Amino acid sequence: MQSIAVFILPLIIVLIPLYGIIRKVQVYEVFVDGAKEGFQIGVRIIPYLVAILFAIGMFRESGAMDFFMTALGPVLGLVGFPVEVLPMAIFRPLTGSGSVGVLVDMVSAYGEDSLIVKMAATMFGSTETTFYVLAVYFGAVGIRRVKYSVQTGLIADLSGIISSVVIVYLLFG
Amino acid sequence: MLNYIWAGLIIISLVFAVGHDAGDMLQDTYRNGKVYEIELLFPENSDLNKRQNIRFYTAGHEKAFEAVWRPIDDTYEMIIPVDPEMPELWQNIAENQQASNRSEMLAEVVSINREPTTAGILLPKVRYVKLRAITDAAFDMAEFAVTLAIGLIGVMALWLGLMKIAEKSGLVYMLVRIVQPFLRFLFRNVPKNHPAHGVISLNMAANMLGLGNAATPLGIKAMEELQKLNPNKDTASNAQCMLLTVNTASVQLLPPATLVALIGTGVNELVISMALATLISLFVGITAAKIYERFHPEEPHDSNIPDEQKISYNPTNEG
Repeated sequence: MQSIAVFILPLIIVLIPLYGIIRKVQVYEVFVDGAKEGFQIGVRIIPYLVAILFAIGMFRESGAMDFFMTALGPVLGLVGFPVEVLPMAIFRPLTGSGSVGVLVDMVSAYGEDSLIVKMAATMFGSTETTFYVLAVYFGAVGIRRVKYSVQTGLIADLSGIISSVVIVYLLFG
Repeated sequence: MLNYIWAGLIIISLVFAVGHDAGDMLQDTYRNGKVYEIELLFPENSDLNKRQNIRFYTAGHEKAFEAVWRPIDDTYEMIIPVDPEMPELWQNIAENQQASNRSEMLAEVVSINREPTTAGILLPKVRYVKLRAITDAAFDMAEFAVTLAIGLIGVMALWLGLMKIAEKSGLVYMLVRIVQPFLRFLFRNVPKNHPAHGVISLNMAANMLGLGNAATPLGIKAMEELQKLNPNKDTASNAQCMLLTVNTASVQLLPPATLVALIGTGVNELVISMALATLISLFVGITAAKIYERFHPEEPHDSNIPDEQKISYNPTNEG
């Protein structure tokens, strides 16, 4: 499994431009055009990062984080859910750029290679900002009564969160 | 919701910090204002009114600690570098003092006797430790957020550049072919060959490639198509709920650019775990939506097709 994984990024980086060339795309110009978006996104997420990082930084520094973790840890431990990834599970459905901040905080607290960060990153990559999608998609067509879609969205999120933990345990644990 | 959680974090931090500091004050954790008796060792024939390096003993410790003696007006001060063999309380005081240099502390000499040379010293007062800590954390993190975001730009540009090539070269259409067979099952009420199918499959394919910027407009377009079929304009139809579920479960086969930038090449080994987790959440989401559909029965949408679309849509010419 690990040896397959090593090939994934290089394959993406090589195959996409190759496919582009075959389909007669101006790969260089198109790449540069897309890369410009990187700059915009980098700048656009700054306010969200500041908002989340400073609030979580305060929370951690005040000792409140430790308090809640020791309080909730044993409860979640009963089902094998590591309490450290809880912030990601809470923030992911609510804010996309904000959960980048949560992930940043975890990387600096637990290290890039820790299981905790792997779980949180898998959660981040495998679920969407449910409430944002809900607001944008239904807002665009003027739907006010959303029926059961909040439930199904959150059920999907919850299963993504749980399966992230289980899968990372199985693959790396 | 997010507003409450965010404000909650800040308020709870403040409450905890104030509580902690009040506890410190009540228990007098740092013994603020306590005078410590020490025995001073001056070089021979030295003048007390000159700045000089000295050593001193404190009760219960064998070792002579270093310090700098410094006369100020009529009194004296000592600059004491932190030594790991010092009393633990002293080290804690140095660690939590207000001065920014934590490796030394400034002690005030309140009394001095000759023969033998002893002195009473006051260590820096330590107050509001946590309150200062959370304020520092807020400022440091705000600064860190910006350096971090700037640092992410490079890899994000690389990734988004690649994704743009994928988008322009029509990789999306390859995925559309994979998605299409499932649409009839997912959106049972939407008539076959209805334009909604095309947009929905494009939206799902763009999601799979992690093309967030392309997926959202397509999703909105798909929502609009479904809205045309929706008899109750302010209530979501089952098809619309399904589209939303599929989008929130988000089948991402390629990692999002921010994640690649943040984790770097470590993303390699996460691609598999993310693909598995996302497929499971999609499966569970769709199953849940299908179950909910049973409790919200609807007429097939064929009769709701607006006139302008009926021209292009011909039910007798299917298959």
